[in-house]
Amino acid sequence: MVTKCPVERDYFTDHTVLLDPYDYFEEMRPRGPICQLETHDCLLVTGFQECVEVLRNPIDFSSINSLASSAFPLPFEPKGSDISEQIEANRDKYVGGDLVVTFDDDRHTNVRSLISRMFTPSRLKANEAFMQDYATKMVKEVVAEGGCELVSRIATPYVTMVIADLLGVPDEDRKLFEAEIAKGQTVGSIDNPDKPTDTSTLEFMGTFFYRYFQERAENPGTDLLSELVTATYPDGETKPDLMTLISLAVFMFAAGQDTSAKLLGNALRYIVDVPGLQQQLREDRKLIPWMLEEVLRLEGSSKATHRLARRDTKIGDYDVPAGTQVIVAIAAANRDPRRWGEDANEFKLKRPGIREHIGFSRGQHTCAGAPLARVEVATILNCFFDHTSDIRISEEKHGKPGARHYQFEPSFIIRGLDNLYVELDPK
Amino acid sequence: MATVFVTDRDALEMIIDIRPGTSLMQAITDEGIGDLLALCGGMCSCATCHVYIDEKFLGQISAMSDDEQGLLEMSSYRKENSRLACQVRMSDSLDGMRATIAPAD
Repeated sequence: MVTKCPVERDYFTDHTVLLDPYDYFEEMRPRGPICQLETHDCLLVTGFQECVEVLRNPIDFSSINSLASSAFPLPFEPKGSDISEQIEANRDKYVGGDLVVTFDDDRHTNVRSLISRMFTPSRLKANEAFMQDYATKMVKEVVAEGGCELVSRIATPYVTMVIADLLGVPDEDRKLFEAEIAKGQTVGSIDNPDKPTDTSTLEFMGTFFYRYFQERAENPGTDLLSELVTATYPDGETKPDLMTLISLAVFMFAAGQDTSAKLLGNALRYIVDVPGLQQQLREDRKLIPWMLEEVLRLEGSSKATHRLARRDTKIGDYDVPAGTQVIVAIAAANRDPRRWGEDANEFKLKRPGIREHIGFSRGQHTCAGAPLARVEVATILNCFFDHTSDIRISEEKHGKPGARHYQFEPSFIIRGLDNLYVELDPK
Repeated sequence: MATVFVTDRDALEMIIDIRPGTSLMQAITDEGIGDLLALCGGMCSCATCHVYIDEKFLGQISAMSDDEQGLLEMSSYRKENSRLACQVRMSDSLDGMRATIAPAD
């Protein structure tokens, strides 16, 4: 039986959805794993199996609107059962249309191949000493002060420095980027419905990366930018042009910022508020990766991504005509009781099949930086445990356990805290 | 274009035509073969695209990196002809190759 909610809340602009998107998705789930929204002309996919099906079907679903979202009508009139050519002809009308996250087909295969070896275990191992040293320095400072606002003081600068080090961004420019990113509007802003995503921060950084690539071309080093400047596409001959490299590098720099930083904040909330969890992790650090996977499932940094059907297709048995926009609700799929059981909304360490969550998406566009995010967040959490005997969330700022109140980044894409005040007892 | 014969975990064989330059993992997942989880999306980081490659074609695939080696060593189902499908870049010389999806760890 299909039941309808009395009034459908607007996923893209409603502040109550921002505060608790999981409640909104549970409200929508009775409509079925795939449903047509009343507020916008698009489908909402909340089922795990259905989301995976869409994400793993790049033949029928374009990623062109993955940043622009499904909140707006198409910038063209779709014609026929295959609109692939129309999509490409209108690519410049989409925000982020020149970024790898929106690419399809060969263009995506080519650019993705350039980064496929950038976050491998050995590459991350080489970067681990920097992460460890930098994390230790930052954590010691705030422990000495008895606490801090975690997001601005630790999470954001830490992830910025880690990716800057990996790419080879010079020290003197790192703070500039950090400041520019902090000034910029969040991706998918619910407070700016006419232009929820802008790319001016990326454009600012692009001018710097242009110079870096020129320098690396003349004098290659061992950093990732040097590797990119000498890389070829899978045919082994064709080299990417400079603009492609710049937009790729800038995107890699920026994409990891918010999501990794938010993961640290989200993880700390669970560490502090799940009874016994902090002590359990302190006693057995090997549980940290398990904890992170469960946090990624329950409260990963991306709530949703978007796709556009470019051919007449189906999701399961549901007919989807070419031109249909689809919200792939990652946060809903990761709590789908059909996949995760009746305790889907609960935190459970070592949940069976946990690594199959789609917190980092799935398919061709799986987050390339996922291995980096996992390592960097685990590294700094280990540092916190090394240098503290107890971590608490400030009751003065966020209320008591069970009645916490937080400010979330005003985004329909990102899930994470604007700020998190923590109290830290030294060891 | 190279034709590859892919066998899934139910021993069903599928024939896939793959363009040069595409990774074997991408071609198999694009075909909708669910057995190949490929959780990391081809970043050589998770070993969930483990396949067994027709031995006579092994020499025509680029050498294994230390990362791939390390990930495969952690699999209980590693064999001499194991590879991660995300690291197998297709070329015309692999026409007629057979690949079998390894059991899940």
